Amino acid sequence: MRFLLVLLAMGAACAQDAPRPDGATHADWPHYGGTQFSWRYSALDQVNAGNVKNLVPAWIFQTGDYAENLQATPIVVDGVMYLITPRIQVFALDAATGHLLWQYKYPTPRPGKPGGMTFVQNRGVAVGDGKVFFGTTDNYLVALDQKTGAEQWRVSVDDPRQCGCDITAAPLVVKDKVIVGGNGGDAAHRGYLTAFYTKTGRFAWRWYVIPGPGEKGHDTWKGDSWKLGGGAPWMTGSFDPQLNLVYWGTGNAGGDFNDEDRLVPGAKGKEANLYTASVVALDADTGKLRWYHQEVPDDVWDFDSAYECVLIDRAINGQMRKLLVHMNKSGVTFVLDRVTGEFIGAFSVPEVQTWISGITEDGKLVGRREPEAGKVVNICPSAAGAKSWNSTAYSPRTGYLYAPINEVCNDLTSTPTEAMEGRSHANGGFSLKLPPDRKTYSHIDAWDPMTRKRVWSMPYRYVLLASVLATAGDLVFTGDPEGDFFALDARTGNKLWSYQTGAGNRGSAVSYSIGGRQYIATPTGWQQAIAGAQLAPLFPDQNWRGGSTLIVFALPVVPSEVSK
Amino acid sequence: MKHALLFLIVPALAWPQSLGEKVFAQSCATGYCHGAKGTPAGAPRLAARGFDQAYITSTIMRGLPGTAMPAFGATLPRADLTAVIAYVASLNGIVNPSINLGPGPGGAGPPEPALSAEAERGRALFFDALRGFSRCSTCHEVNGVGIPVTTAIAKIPTDAAALRALATPDIRTATVDGEAMPALIVSQAKTRALFYDLTSAPPVLRTVDPNALKVAEGSAWRHASVIGAYNDAELASILAFLKEAIKP
Repeated sequence: MRFLLVLLAMGAACAQDAPRPDGATHADWPHYGGTQFSWRYSALDQVNAGNVKNLVPAWIFQTGDYAENLQATPIVVDGVMYLITPRIQVFALDAATGHLLWQYKYPTPRPGKPGGMTFVQNRGVAVGDGKVFFGTTDNYLVALDQKTGAEQWRVSVDDPRQCGCDITAAPLVVKDKVIVGGNGGDAAHRGYLTAFYTKTGRFAWRWYVIPGPGEKGHDTWKGDSWKLGGGAPWMTGSFDPQLNLVYWGTGNAGGDFNDEDRLVPGAKGKEANLYTASVVALDADTGKLRWYHQEVPDDVWDFDSAYECVLIDRAINGQMRKLLVHMNKSGVTFVLDRVTGEFIGAFSVPEVQTWISGITEDGKLVGRREPEAGKVVNICPSAAGAKSWNSTAYSPRTGYLYAPINEVCNDLTSTPTEAMEGRSHANGGFSLKLPPDRKTYSHIDAWDPMTRKRVWSMPYRYVLLASVLATAGDLVFTGDPEGDFFALDARTGNKLWSYQTGAGNRGSAVSYSIGGRQYIATPTGWQQAIAGAQLAPLFPDQNWRGGSTLIVFALPVVPSEVSK
Repeated sequence: MKHALLFLIVPALAWPQSLGEKVFAQSCATGYCHGAKGTPAGAPRLAARGFDQAYITSTIMRGLPGTAMPAFGATLPRADLTAVIAYVASLNGIVNPSINLGPGPGGAGPPEPALSAEAERGRALFFDALRGFSRCSTCHEVNGVGIPVTTAIAKIPTDAAALRALATPDIRTATVDGEAMPALIVSQAKTRALFYDLTSAPPVLRTVDPNALKVAEGSAWRHASVIGAYNDAELASILAFLKEAIKP
């Protein structure tokens, strides 16, 4: 009898475990988020807590494009690294030596460039189907030949002169399609995701964040506000091949800080302005909405939800569940069932938090503190975000989510203005302020998303705006604006190694291996505009340096091995 | 004297917000970029910087390449440009600005002079974002807005029927990798050929090895099929817009 029970249990375990997808990267770093589960976790462990102190630069690549910064996540496939700069130069490099294999320069419109809200930055390329894909400042999606860098196709996603939008996110390759989101949520614009066929560049599907007339959710918009209501999904999504679902975070509703023109009377505190500030699951083949979870109904703080969807499988009450972990700019982090969208739990990561008094058991925000027309209201965290686009990392070895969190507040003003297509529609503004009585204004945290407890926290004096990388060597890598790129012990948060890169860190580090040698690559170069410039004046004694250099670290090669 | 000062100050406070201040609030002062009334935010302070008129005009019109400062000359209507340039000038103590936007179309939005009501309807339809890739501006640029896949519109058909039946001799049949497709050839140089694949909207600009491309005259492609989302009345308004907006 006992024997039989064991057999049954094993059978069930096998059925469940069969093809559990792996969210870890190995030799390559194939996607923006590492794998399409967006863990930013490498299974490589040659570099570990014991030897990380020996890391040295293996090679350095200077892009020569000193526009502002280097933020891109390098993609590494079969020993070749693909890197993009803010002004759309793409480089293919030998990832072991840094030698240039090919380069491509996009004919960026001159002089300046059109568009309402224009940012000079690019978060990365996507590689698939023998091509390298990227978005441009003038809103094109471009495909290059992966081997030669020769352009293959180019398609206009929208006219930036009209929509006030551009593309800074890395696209996501899903099967035979490449999906791309765009900026423009703070301009008067109706956000969307668009999928094109990788082979031909032909249009496959478009999903509008804001439902049109007759569609479910359309009635959550007042009058015609849906036409220009924002919600742009401006970062990169995730993909679960077993469920055939694409997951994406959507941006805030517009106008940002005043909801007078978009909130249906009586809807305050209820679900509003769908599907802005939400996590959505779309059918990968058709772009049809399967489920959604709105995190910030009637967002009046510019808290956005446009960020990484971390797909993890964890046990709840003894049962393995397919989950999605998602943090928005407020720092509230949601744990959802990624099959159904069911709310599992939430936790708030910033220490200084005044925008709500709490979250109910079923995920509703309570005690909302909102900006008011004609007043200046100080609210924490700020529109620059407890965390913004720079990504978290998740380690399956520790089970922790590693997040860089800023403790910055803002004075919000709320001014209703008329929405004019393609023009900024912030409906007010924000001015960043440091919270009183603190000596440190950021920290890197390890959170257990299942217990919703902070396991450790490493404070930092200024702010942190670089992505995090976790590795199987039980290390967590990130960098700071003063220029230090460093490694923490993934279990304790203790700093184990640090290297002065010469410029502020605002990019996304990756790890890969070639010929048995593990490399850790980080872009460097502080961004002078937008968040970088908003945050920098809070620390007037600091002068964080821009730049555009990739630094690649590895353990030193032992001379005897070289002679072999 | 005190009286005179009061007189000078009071109107400034009591008058409704000027057009320049309004444009500035909407296009420049969002917190992401500049702050209200030229205070610093994501982008630098603009008030009392001692900027001269030429610098202000040039920066607003042409942007600052390599930074996030865009070229507003490409996006704002001329009236708004003049007003916001005067406003930033006033923040820098320039009382009587002499503003020369220079030649060129300069500015999106309603072209000047103002359009008739029907042409205005046509303009909205031509650029209607809610129609996605089914709108005219997916392939046509008019007065600096729209994607210039085709050459500039020169001859305007007389009515909706003529617009549907438009002759399109430039559209040929391209064959690449054994697949035939309607194509607008951009260039055929020795090392590469560029053409727009018109199989579906939006057109895809493809770059191929000229040896791998075969081009035949004629195509099954019809203008009528890509403007099918518009009805006769809408097409009539669009034609009215084109007639007023495009000067020979």
